[in-house]
Amino acid sequence: MSNKLSSSVPTDREVVLGILNNSEDALNRLYTGYFPMILQFIINNNGDEDDAKDVYQEAIIVLYNKIRSGDFELSSKLKTYIYSVCRRIWLKKLSQQSKKTTNLSELDDVVAVEVDLEHHEEKELQFEKMGSALVNLGEPCKTIIQDFYINNLSMQDICEKFGYTNTDNVKTQKYKCLQRLKKLFFQS
Amino acid sequence: MRNDIELDAMIEDYLQGNLSAAEAEAFEQLRTNDPVVDHKVVAHKAFLETLKQYGRVMSLKQQMDHAHAQMDVEAMADQMRPHPSFIINLWRKNKSAVAIAASFLLLTIFSVYSINHNTKQNGTYEVMRREITNIKNNQNKLVRTLNSSGTKSDKGPSSVAKFGGSGFALTANGYLCTNYHVIRDADSIYVQKNGESFKVKVAYFDAQYDIAILKIIDNSFTPLSNLPYKLKRNGIGMGEDVYTLGFPKDDAVLGEGYVSSKTGHNGDTTQYQVSIPINPGNSGGAVFDNYGNIVGMITAKENQVEGAAFAVKSKHILEALNAIPSDSLGKKVAFSKKNPLQGLNRTKQIDKIQDFVYMIKVYN
Repeated sequence: MSNKLSSSVPTDREVVLGILNNSEDALNRLYTGYFPMILQFIINNNGDEDDAKDVYQEAIIVLYNKIRSGDFELSSKLKTYIYSVCRRIWLKKLSQQSKKTTNLSELDDVVAVEVDLEHHEEKELQFEKMGSALVNLGEPCKTIIQDFYINNLSMQDICEKFGYTNTDNVKTQKYKCLQRLKKLFFQS
Repeated sequence: MRNDIELDAMIEDYLQGNLSAAEAEAFEQLRTNDPVVDHKVVAHKAFLETLKQYGRVMSLKQQMDHAHAQMDVEAMADQMRPHPSFIINLWRKNKSAVAIAASFLLLTIFSVYSINHNTKQNGTYEVMRREITNIKNNQNKLVRTLNSSGTKSDKGPSSVAKFGGSGFALTANGYLCTNYHVIRDADSIYVQKNGESFKVKVAYFDAQYDIAILKIIDNSFTPLSNLPYKLKRNGIGMGEDVYTLGFPKDDAVLGEGYVSSKTGHNGDTTQYQVSIPINPGNSGGAVFDNYGNIVGMITAKENQVEGAAFAVKSKHILEALNAIPSDSLGKKVAFSKKNPLQGLNRTKQIDKIQDFVYMIKVYN
């Protein structure tokens, strides 16, 4: 198993370049490469596979944002960084669940990741709000907004997709949807 | 409403850079003049930013879910899951605590044990020591290293003897008995009595019983008169008074005591334990009882125990003597049937015996 692991784990350099180039393959390899480590960590510290998945994905997102933000400086091995982030996140989750965490908290951080995580938590909060706002928005507003703003479809495409008679109507609809979304977002 | 939509579209176009240069300029003019519009632009920009990031994260999550689905997480988790057994878990989690507790327990047991032993009677303690030192053979072979100058006799060898022991006559024609360890590795052996020195050869030895029988081969040797003592066939009782004549120095020395045990070192049934103070050089000395019978031969003493010497039983000396082919014995070994020493007091006995005990000198 260790052999398989080491062969599939990309080098740190490959990962950083892959993320900057939006390479899906790099993400896949990164993801599968370090997941067992985190899985083991979580499972042995009062967690299950789903916890491991959540924590690990959050950590990858933190890593992504850090690399994308441009000021990424690898002060440790990527593996260590991911592990530290996961540890922090899991620790926080555990303390929120007020489970016994003596084993974990006694140890010092492997790498200081506090700053990265604070930033991440802020973002995460916003994303949660955004997610629930989008859900509350309902169809077809949600899809229109997503298609236009996230998937960068043109007005024409959306018009055809939903069967609007002309793009002006779509624009009007989109405007209304966006207003509602903003309202929902800032309300919650 | 209509205006709002248009304004919104304008802002979006402006943010995306879709406006022509003139339009953009006009819009910027509008922004500077109308703070409400300006704020709308900023808010809209921030909101869209968040929305975009949200979208990115969502797609990233989707990709990761995709990657996640490719792995056999269940199998991996099963492999890594902590052992289900409660006891093993307990052990793993409290390993260090258990280790500390165990070492503490061990230390406690050990100290209590040793304290107990220190306060116990000496006897038990000595027995302990004996057991421990069993591995090393702690019998001191009582060979005396001769550092005094050797014999002054002109017949004797000129060099200085290396080892010395005691011996006694078995027959009148020059067969002597001593310990095997006295003459072991010897190049040449001499016996000395009253300043006279005779060369001897080893006629027989038995390393197991530590017995050696020597034969005087010196021409100047004249056969002795009849032996005043005899070898005792039967065993001797505990508490019986015994004495030995040996050569811890160049003249015969008397050692007196009693039989303190019917077995020797570590329960050796071929030996007695006798309570006679003995020293290096006493090895091979005959042990006599009150009637002048030879009951044994001093061989060794125990290091750690005061007054515990060991003597080979006379029975084995007799066996050794019988093992010598009668041819090489020449004349049959003779013992007087009647023991002439019987009834004499100690001083008289020693007086008679003295002529038949020898100092053994070994050169190598």
